[in-house]
Amino acid sequence: MLNLLGEQLLNGIVTGSVYAIVAVGMTMTFGVLRVINFAHGEYFMVGTFASWFVIEKIDLGYPQSVVFAVALTALLAIVVGYFLMRKMVGAPFENGVLATLGVSLILQNLAVALFGGSYKFFNGGYIEPVELFGYGLAQQRILIVIVCVLVFIGLDLMVTYSRMGKSMRAVSQNIECCEIVGIDVQSVVLWTFVIGASLAGLSGVLTAPVNVSVYGGMGELITFKTLPIIIMGGLGNVRGTFIAAMILGIAESFVAGFIGLQFRDSVGFVTLSLMLMWRPHGLFSLQSRF
Amino acid sequence: MSQLQETQQTWRSGFRLPAIILMAAFVLFAPAFVGSYSLHAVVIAMIFLLPALGLNLLVGYTGLLSLAQGAFFGVGAYASALLSIHFNTPFYINVVSAGLISGALALPLGIPALRLRATSFVMCTLGFIVIGQAISKNWISLTRGDMGLSSVPKPYFALGPWSFSVVSTAAYYYLALAVASLAILAFYLIVRSPAGRNMIAIRENETLAEAVGIPTWTYKLIVFVLSAVFAGVGGSLYVHYLTVVSPLTFQMYYTTTILIIVLGGGVGTISGVVFGSILFVALSEVLRVAPEIRMIAYGICLLLIVFKFPKGFAPVIDKVWLALGGQRA
Repeated sequence: MLNLLGEQLLNGIVTGSVYAIVAVGMTMTFGVLRVINFAHGEYFMVGTFASWFVIEKIDLGYPQSVVFAVALTALLAIVVGYFLMRKMVGAPFENGVLATLGVSLILQNLAVALFGGSYKFFNGGYIEPVELFGYGLAQQRILIVIVCVLVFIGLDLMVTYSRMGKSMRAVSQNIECCEIVGIDVQSVVLWTFVIGASLAGLSGVLTAPVNVSVYGGMGELITFKTLPIIIMGGLGNVRGTFIAAMILGIAESFVAGFIGLQFRDSVGFVTLSLMLMWRPHGLFSLQSRF
Repeated sequence: MSQLQETQQTWRSGFRLPAIILMAAFVLFAPAFVGSYSLHAVVIAMIFLLPALGLNLLVGYTGLLSLAQGAFFGVGAYASALLSIHFNTPFYINVVSAGLISGALALPLGIPALRLRATSFVMCTLGFIVIGQAISKNWISLTRGDMGLSSVPKPYFALGPWSFSVVSTAAYYYLALAVASLAILAFYLIVRSPAGRNMIAIRENETLAEAVGIPTWTYKLIVFVLSAVFAGVGGSLYVHYLTVVSPLTFQMYYTTTILIIVLGGGVGTISGVVFGSILFVALSEVLRVAPEIRMIAYGICLLLIVFKFPKGFAPVIDKVWLALGGQRA
């Protein structure tokens, strides 16, 4: 029993890391833009598809596919960010919801239209298992956790000490004052969005060997899991998002292991709905800002 | 007679009345000269009109963006299907019960949800769809899970010695027309009433409305429940037309379609939503070439609505109506 518990815990940490990398991008985008990016999961999907494409059709190795996938996701994010997301600054939030919903529909169905709707098999990554605390764990999963920790440390340092990070914090607090002080809000918004989307793509590439199946609609599920995380963690709150992601990952793992696999995907929104009804300001803040 | 009365009496009527008569004739006799596939498309358009009216009430008149219409649509569909499968009830009981059940469900869901601010409210309503889908997939004893409920009986009416079933597409067209017309009438009455003006006040400036003495929270809850009733009735019509219902009814596709109808048609107007329904749903049914292309078109529509046509179709309709209108002689 303890063995099973430990195994579920480890699985939960890995899952949580995957979600955390994706969620931090969405929450940073919300912080500067006040827009819930419904298309965020699609960048995860784009990362996965790009690396699958590189491995299957161009016949490169896994590390090269990671670089390619993240670069492609970043490029896509630059295009979408330049033409769409920058216009969301100061617009009513319904615009953001609808526009990102539109982008998500277009990206999802483009993937299906270009590559077909069937599930594809991802054929790369470091999936040989390794012994850890007495459990066998695929190397890729450990890699995911390590990358997650590195990403969060890096982001924390960037947001606290770097000029870009300080600009991001400033934009998320008060856009008008930023413009007065001379911060290029459009540029900050664009780069925050690109960083966030690229992180989602990175998560997609890293998770692909573990998930194994690749299909056009996978982004929607990721979006539906990331939304509860960012709200529970507090919109715009990077550290809170990390903890909320871990909690969701572990909770999903326990539900799948002890209650039933079919309930796994519902854990996110059920927890979110319960939390919104009783504690609308998120788990980590004292008042509701959004 | 005063000069004012004189001016009002010398009025040459324009083409509005003939246009209305022509449209009414077309609508009433459509099955006679419209092909059966186009008829099917129009039936689907009228079915989707109902949750769209509900969403219009929420977004257009009270200013609440809710994504939960798909959830109540699905609830209404399942409720109606289960009633008619297990109890063999006539259609009017099914459709009213579906509406009432959806509305009753909206009440305990709306009370905590409406306390939230705009962004969290959108998330919460999205959660209703996800939870609805999860329940329909997992409550297998009631809903048969992913297999769904098939062979839902066609609507039948039993009034004393008469009873007839609505089987053909043309007959269903008239049924849907009747229900849709009643819904539009109900919508019109709600919106033109003093309650409707209060809703518009809430949409424009909620704090000011509250300050003037409008019980905003009560209104928002009532509108939330009413829109769920509309959606539930739509779901009931839908399931009896298709004779199947499954967890797929809770997909985002339905909510997205309803959103596009309302926002592309003209949020806050009646004629806009009607035209939007015909345009987006009927056209997309007719163009059912490849589902992916249709969804990409939806996505592009959403982007166009946000950036180019925030008022949707409504300005175009207004211009046409004005052009048809009369002039003073």
